[in-house]
Amino acid sequence: MQPLTETIANATRLLLDGNPELWGIIAISFRVSLTAMLVATPFAILTAFALAHFEFPGRKLLVTLFSSLLSVPAVVVGLTFYLLLSRQGPLGDWKLLFTQTAMVIGQIALCFPILVAMSHSAFQALDRRAWETARTLGAGPTRALFTLMREIRFGLFAALFAAFGRIIAEVGSSMMLGGNILHYTRNIPTAIALETSRGEFAQGIALGIVLLTLTFSVTALLQHLQQRRMSGQ
Amino acid sequence: MTQAQFRFTGIGKAFGERRVLKAANIDLSAGCCVLLSGRNGSGKSTLLRIMAGMEKPDRGEVDFGGGPLPWRRCSHYLQQHILYLHQQPYMFDGNVRYNLGYALRRGRDKKTLIAAALHWGGLEAMANAPARSLSGGERQRLALARAWLRRPAAMLLDEPTANMDIEARITTLALLRSLKEEGYALLISSHDQHHFDDLFDVRLHLGDGRIGPARPSAQRITVVRS
Repeated sequence: MQPLTETIANATRLLLDGNPELWGIIAISFRVSLTAMLVATPFAILTAFALAHFEFPGRKLLVTLFSSLLSVPAVVVGLTFYLLLSRQGPLGDWKLLFTQTAMVIGQIALCFPILVAMSHSAFQALDRRAWETARTLGAGPTRALFTLMREIRFGLFAALFAAFGRIIAEVGSSMMLGGNILHYTRNIPTAIALETSRGEFAQGIALGIVLLTLTFSVTALLQHLQQRRMSGQ
Repeated sequence: MTQAQFRFTGIGKAFGERRVLKAANIDLSAGCCVLLSGRNGSGKSTLLRIMAGMEKPDRGEVDFGGGPLPWRRCSHYLQQHILYLHQQPYMFDGNVRYNLGYALRRGRDKKTLIAAALHWGGLEAMANAPARSLSGGERQRLALARAWLRRPAAMLLDEPTANMDIEARITTLALLRSLKEEGYALLISSHDQHHFDDLFDVRLHLGDGRIGPARPSAQRITVVRS
């Protein structure tokens, strides 16, 4: 095993040299996770708004359900969809197992409860007069909804970042549903798991640096936006 | 503006076992100011919210010229033509201009109209200030200017002068008078009846879920347009 400093130096070199395998893995990770976010976010926000705004039978049960789903392990989600998508499973005919689509499905299942629960809290905390004022000033339901989303934008950003952070770093579901196939379904966390098990730490550290940089940038951006808002700029 | 008349009849509303409104009848006419009194919890705010299409009554009809219609068939119309102002107006996160612009439909000459509203409400000096940094009186002026830009047929105002100092109250009353003179139908719900002695045309009282005539006010205040 190489000394840690040398491993980190190798990892940095891999990143800076534009190693195609490494950057290919990063690209797959972002493609899959961003697709999952794009699909899940509109439905999650609408669900959160409906849960916060309307009274209907089963509303409280749904709120509890989404809160409970926050802590479901990724590997359990992976196992559930594995059973559904495997050849003997009820959705086996779709032949989705070990594809990026399967990974997207698994990540949607992981990020949806986070998006709903956090957006719901943000909608719930908003003054009800916001909706009423928008409507009485002539906004239709769609414009009024976008107005509310603007009012709670920092809560929504926090939900988006938390959900993205969860799925881009999860290994259980991606490993089971994607199969860790190089150039196709190998993403950052599955690659880190594989390289570490092989004793090849340089690529794992390089990918870890990408994840840490992403997390740091997103948090810094969110804090910057919140500070600007507080200072009224 | 639209010379509309709204006739609400038999409005009833209960919250659980408690019947807040039994059979409330009330008319709104262009250029007419109705002052509504009633004790705390008598259902004034509920009635106003129902009239503005924001809350569903258990029963009741609305007639805006073509015969009585059940509420469910005209709630959208009410939302479009009757504006409700909260006791403490909600300000959107943005400056005064943004809040005024919100009341405008797309495609209209926003800049000119916002400038006119700033002048109307005496808000020019604070046009770029965050709306949430304004005082209570300034917020009320902004809410009225925003309502003025929206050009509804009627405005329902819930305690528009509550918790205001005398100066802010006089300015608010002057703006309300201006709205009345422009032909808006106004319905003002207030505990401070004497504030509006020079403004109202009809005084009503809501009690026991029904609306009836109110006793005359003892105190008067002179309104001066600033």
